[in-house]
Amino acid sequence: MKRLNWMIVIGMIAVMVALAAACKSSKPQPASTGTAAPATSAATSPAASFAGTVTIGASIGLTGSLAKEGKLTLDGYKFWEQWVNSHGGLKVGDKRYKVDIKYYDDQSDANQSARLMEKLITQDNVKLLLGPYGTPATLQDAVIAERYKIPMVEGNGAAEAIFNKGYKYTFGVLSPAKKYLQGVLEIAQTEKSPAAKTVAIISDNDAFSIEVADGAKAFAEANGLQVVSYEKIPQNTTDVSALITQLKGKNPDILLGSGHFNTSVLLMKTVKDLNLNAKIYGFSVGPSIPDFQKSLGSAADDVFGGTQWTADLKFQDSLFGTAKQYAAEFQKAFGYEPDYHVAESTAACEALQLAIEKAGSLDTTKIRDTLAGLDAMTFYGQIKFDSRGLNIYKPMAVEQWQKGEKVTVWPESAATTKAVYPTPPWSQR
Amino acid sequence: MTTVQQIINALLLGGLLALVALGFSLVWGIMNVINLAHGTFIMLGAYTAYWMFSLWGVDPFLSIPVAMLLLFVLGAILQVSVINFIVRAPVLATLLVTFGLEILITNIALKLWTADVRSVQTHYAGRGIALGSLSIPYNKLGALVLALIITALLWLFLERTKLGRAIRATAYDQVGARAVGINIGRMYALTFGIGAALAGAAGALISTTSAITPMMGSSYTIRAFAICVLGGLGSVTGALVGGLLFGFIEVFGVVWIGPGYSDAIVFLVLVLVLIMRPQGILGRAFSAGVQEAGGA
Repeated sequence: MKRLNWMIVIGMIAVMVALAAACKSSKPQPASTGTAAPATSAATSPAASFAGTVTIGASIGLTGSLAKEGKLTLDGYKFWEQWVNSHGGLKVGDKRYKVDIKYYDDQSDANQSARLMEKLITQDNVKLLLGPYGTPATLQDAVIAERYKIPMVEGNGAAEAIFNKGYKYTFGVLSPAKKYLQGVLEIAQTEKSPAAKTVAIISDNDAFSIEVADGAKAFAEANGLQVVSYEKIPQNTTDVSALITQLKGKNPDILLGSGHFNTSVLLMKTVKDLNLNAKIYGFSVGPSIPDFQKSLGSAADDVFGGTQWTADLKFQDSLFGTAKQYAAEFQKAFGYEPDYHVAESTAACEALQLAIEKAGSLDTTKIRDTLAGLDAMTFYGQIKFDSRGLNIYKPMAVEQWQKGEKVTVWPESAATTKAVYPTPPWSQR
Repeated sequence: MTTVQQIINALLLGGLLALVALGFSLVWGIMNVINLAHGTFIMLGAYTAYWMFSLWGVDPFLSIPVAMLLLFVLGAILQVSVINFIVRAPVLATLLVTFGLEILITNIALKLWTADVRSVQTHYAGRGIALGSLSIPYNKLGALVLALIITALLWLFLERTKLGRAIRATAYDQVGARAVGINIGRMYALTFGIGAALAGAAGALISTTSAITPMMGSSYTIRAFAICVLGGLGSVTGALVGGLLFGFIEVFGVVWIGPGYSDAIVFLVLVLVLIMRPQGILGRAFSAGVQEAGGA
């Protein structure tokens, strides 16, 4: 017995060591990005001219299941930080301030995100917040922002559930979830040869995905399409062959997937494996990320994806210029093409900046009130909030993979080429 | 026709899941360690196949031996350095230690390979045998066949070789095993190494059908756990039966009730099995549990 107890103690120590090591390896110290950021702009303007530093807090999942999207979010924030600091800083009244984004890794845990937000406010004395990645964490963080009356501008939580609670301090720059797949359905309606009549919707079972799917279902039904199947699948599903086999019997013209990246890839792989042939495949999340094509190869061709933003959109502002110029500058700094996660994160920063500069003050109440009344055009699109703090004014775009290239096909004003329709059956590809 | 296709789906899924659970079942049965890090071994196996494919163009099916070897070595090292302290310890200690390992390995993988979703794109991906309206994808069929072959080899090893018998003897009776000259520590290292190697093989097979991320492991650990309880602990046939059963429950749960409930249905069946037949469908062929009951 003695020996056994001794072993347990050692075992426990081993766990603690393992955990400590895990934490260390995963959690970057609360770094002010000034030091951690890649040295992109060596010729930043002299810091001496700044009247002070404005610190903005954020908690983002840099490890755990959302690490990928978390990194895109953070890079969007960091790019803005570098850009503003190298372009004269944040203008408040007649003074100019350096901006500093102080962030913690919430390990993709929504509860942890809220705790870190509270720490940012109470211990680090942060007076302004940027949102985390994803609806679950944004839902939690909005509570904290509200409790401490600290304005939070976010670009990565699209579920209306966040905005239907009467909060006054949370502002989302992105289009609401229900719009994600509408563009795909609009494309379907413009195509007449042959016309698409039936829709099957598969959704992940989380607040964001369900809002996307519900929005698509409502839009489809309102526009005379018949929804032949609407199924929710549990998270972390690794096999959808049974579901796709069932769908095959219903022979839908349009297959819509409202889920996260892995689900979208899994669905397309299974659709091809089981030879289900629809005229349109559309996803809310997935096609906009280059890995989608890498994961699927030619099976990604002709797949549509709803997207918050593409560099082809004809928007511009005085900070970055056009959407294209923004994308080019970002690529120069970070070495990859920005997707919409990056752009909406930068846009959240820009909205905050516009509100501060318009308010001419660092007073949180004034900034909040200015945000509420903000109406500005940016490289990302119009930023204007409804009474709930949600940007319902910005349109969504649609992208399609064509022969290994991702192109913008909707709205027509931004389309670089015509959509491929109908998708040829697998036997002819 | 749809029903036939669903049966095929269930077999393809179940056979692979049997291999996913096999190493987990072996370690649990022989060493009484519920290895929550099992899924991370599967993840490492999948990455082995991914890197061999993307760096040198090696087919994932051919990288199975490499994945097994690497994981065997890793498993044996982990057993000697960490797991050995918790063999036959109370269940909480084993859960804590292996959970810690899970977090550690997942985060190391995240650091090394980032959270990018990877995928192995073989030239036969998405192709398959088409019989009328039935489709059998080559990669899933290959995974099933290899899973069954590896399962059969393990069974032969445990039943027919001296080393296999020594491993089983260690599970039945430590004192007796020691008395006849079996090196218990070595048997444990071997067992854990084999468990990890089986997970590595499963991972390499999974790489042909699923996306690969550092976080992919935990959902397989949960499934392995359920399969072990369903089929019965610590036996090769138990894992096989449990895996196939799991595949059929998941697939026909979707068909009859709907995909939203597939997890719920599997775990409902799990609870029913626990109530009516706690030893699992095939019972325990061999297990440390009998002896451990008095010891802890």
